[in-house]
Amino acid sequence: MSTGKRKRGGAFARAGLRPAPKGRAIDAAALATVQALLGDRPRRPDLLIEYLHLLQDHNGHLPVAQLNALAFELRLTPAEVYEVATFYHHFDVVKEGDVAPPPITVRVCDSISCHLAGSDELLDSLRDALGPGIRVIPAPCVGRCDGAPVAVVGRNPIERAGTASITDAVRRHHVEPVIPEYPDYAAYRANGGYALLAECVSGARSVEDVIAQVEASGLRGLGGAGFPVHRKWQFVRSAPAPRCVAINADEGEPGTFKDRFCLESDPHRVLEGALLASWVIGASALVIYLRDEYAAVRAILEREIAALTEDPPCPLPPIQLRRGAGAYICGEETALIESTEGKRGEPRLRPPFPAQAGVFGWPTLVQNIETAYWLRTILQAGPESFRDRGLRGRSGQRYFSVSGRVRRPGVYLAGNGVSARELIELAGGMADGHELYAFLPGGASGGILPASLADEPLDFDILAPYGCFIGSAAVVILSQHDSVKDAAHNLMRFFAHESCGKCTPCRVGTAKSEVLMREETWNLPVLQDLAKVMSDASICGLGQAAPNPFRSVLRFFPQELEP
Amino acid sequence: MSGVDGATPGAPAAAGVNPLGPQGAETSVALLEARLGWGRHAPTGGTVRFTLNGREIEARADETILQAAERHGVSIPHLCYTEGMRPDGNCRACMVEIDGERVLAASCARRPTPGMVVHTGSERALHSQRMVLELLVNDAPQPPSLETELGYWAAQLGVRAGRFPMRSQPVPDLSHPGIQVHLESCIQCTRCVRACREVQVNDVIGYANRGSSAKIVFDFDDPMGESTCVGCGECVQACPTGALLPSLSLLAG
Repeated sequence: MSTGKRKRGGAFARAGLRPAPKGRAIDAAALATVQALLGDRPRRPDLLIEYLHLLQDHNGHLPVAQLNALAFELRLTPAEVYEVATFYHHFDVVKEGDVAPPPITVRVCDSISCHLAGSDELLDSLRDALGPGIRVIPAPCVGRCDGAPVAVVGRNPIERAGTASITDAVRRHHVEPVIPEYPDYAAYRANGGYALLAECVSGARSVEDVIAQVEASGLRGLGGAGFPVHRKWQFVRSAPAPRCVAINADEGEPGTFKDRFCLESDPHRVLEGALLASWVIGASALVIYLRDEYAAVRAILEREIAALTEDPPCPLPPIQLRRGAGAYICGEETALIESTEGKRGEPRLRPPFPAQAGVFGWPTLVQNIETAYWLRTILQAGPESFRDRGLRGRSGQRYFSVSGRVRRPGVYLAGNGVSARELIELAGGMADGHELYAFLPGGASGGILPASLADEPLDFDILAPYGCFIGSAAVVILSQHDSVKDAAHNLMRFFAHESCGKCTPCRVGTAKSEVLMREETWNLPVLQDLAKVMSDASICGLGQAAPNPFRSVLRFFPQELEP
Repeated sequence: MSGVDGATPGAPAAAGVNPLGPQGAETSVALLEARLGWGRHAPTGGTVRFTLNGREIEARADETILQAAERHGVSIPHLCYTEGMRPDGNCRACMVEIDGERVLAASCARRPTPGMVVHTGSERALHSQRMVLELLVNDAPQPPSLETELGYWAAQLGVRAGRFPMRSQPVPDLSHPGIQVHLESCIQCTRCVRACREVQVNDVIGYANRGSSAKIVFDFDDPMGESTCVGCGECVQACPTGALLPSLSLLAG
């Protein structure tokens, strides 16, 4: 294979000498392209992923000659650039002599809600209909489970996708997303927005008072871990400066789309919450890490952050929007931090925790979108307005993403402690011809429960006796027409696809489990051994939670394992 | 304004400080220190008393659980860690059970704290140690030689291959005059990456792709012989499985 390096030849070669250093030489044309694309942007290695996007968007792929030039510009080595570029699924590295992907890629979501809605058949029929000139590939959850099945043409997500609608979008070259209507900066401010932030920054409210109110509200991290918000604030705040806030907009848990709902319906409410948290912990910088699948949200945030910083309501910390590149694992807080530093999204070992050493070693508050979203409500309407919404002795409220076999899948606001059956009622009841059989309380990671537990309250902690958790509150409803065994295989396939590859239990365990779970008859002793090592010994929550659906099948649906 | 530790909320970082970006060598070092538990993150001097397998022992403040255990005659399997190299905690062969913790901990990357109660040979810890070794041995093309670290630990724990489907295997890369690359024997421990990047600072070797496709690469996944490798041999020295070997021509010559 040629590596495009300078040809060895002539007297040098005959004498056994090299005319040039080993490895690839910098290609002048590629360097010119890279320099033109980068313009006067800073040559900082933490911006590597942003610059890979520039090249990918420009070429439709990443030619290795340009990666080599980019490495040169950023003072990185080829290996450092290559290992990052090949980690993220939205980058296509093309080596000399390899065929570049076609200009349009159609990504067909094959995660659980879309799988129930027939994504396998859609994938096959699209491959037939579109032919080899269009790349049609399966993709993990794109966060539109209420519109399942979903296919994304370029960056344009199309809900309730069929062969006709996708073929039409491809033919018309509709590859960019439609931007939804939302209250912009002027509208948000006209409605009293940012008055609270200005009040806080001016000193009219004290940090201690704000922390006390959030504590009284009982607000917990709504990304899935449920850590009490005020305690996390106190940890980070007591760590030495400089400190950083990283807002986690990398929502990717299959079945979850409530963060997108928050960002698309009221982006400034999220930004104000993020800035409030930044003020509380005394942050020198605010980073928002947004998954690449949310192209419409990116357009909104770029526009609105610009509007905000041009006419700020009060002094603001620098705000940076970072663009993910197709990696579920980057929703894990330490992987998100690594990715923000321009690296592979591999989780870090804890300790140290992000509150001690996060982005660039700075003590970092990682906060979920919806958590930030609720701060203004809590601080303006009072903590009880939030706390008292809980049901059955639980406190607080949150957005539930409800999808699967219901009549009106969507985001529903409900008090913590609501039951799955009540959520189904909110979502218009079961879809025609479907009866409740099972449900996922918390996306791919949270396990699977039978219909007999549909009246149990849903909240943090209380599902632990069932080996399940609520996580991001992605409730996926399965009916008598669905197989939980098949769903568990679909979820394990997701985890194997999204494992970062750093630790053995997850990298090897998810891959082996996925192969073994394809079998008609499951080899239970072997799968149980794998489940134990994954949950006990994986570095992060991905590998630790990966066996949950498998264990749910064993515990609640043993009839599906009978031959 | 209500500042914390001298920082002014809502105000940009001090002049001359990049608001968000590596602050050159200073931050890299700080980060490394934080991850290693050195520098300001390190316990200050002295010793730490903790309980290891029911026995109270003393660790130096800068020691990991694995190091302290070894010094007290308790061996724990380990592959991605080797003396003199930054622990990465990725292979998970050295998992131990710590009382009060939900999951097991990688003993190569954890420091004991006063009063910590650690079990290296509990049923739960042993299960993970053995399973990790079994998964790695399973994907080796043949039973690993007892001269390799993987073979040694597999034999110590009586672990054998065969219960799992095998991964698809790459072909050997024999393009380099001095070093053979047999990624079919690779366990993705990244010791060669750290040897090349952090010990020799050549930075030719990377860890590319994701999940079960993750692999060791040279430059842009080039044949080793065509890469910028200078053949220093640090990676061969670091490899615990024989995935990187001196060429037979060198051994013969």
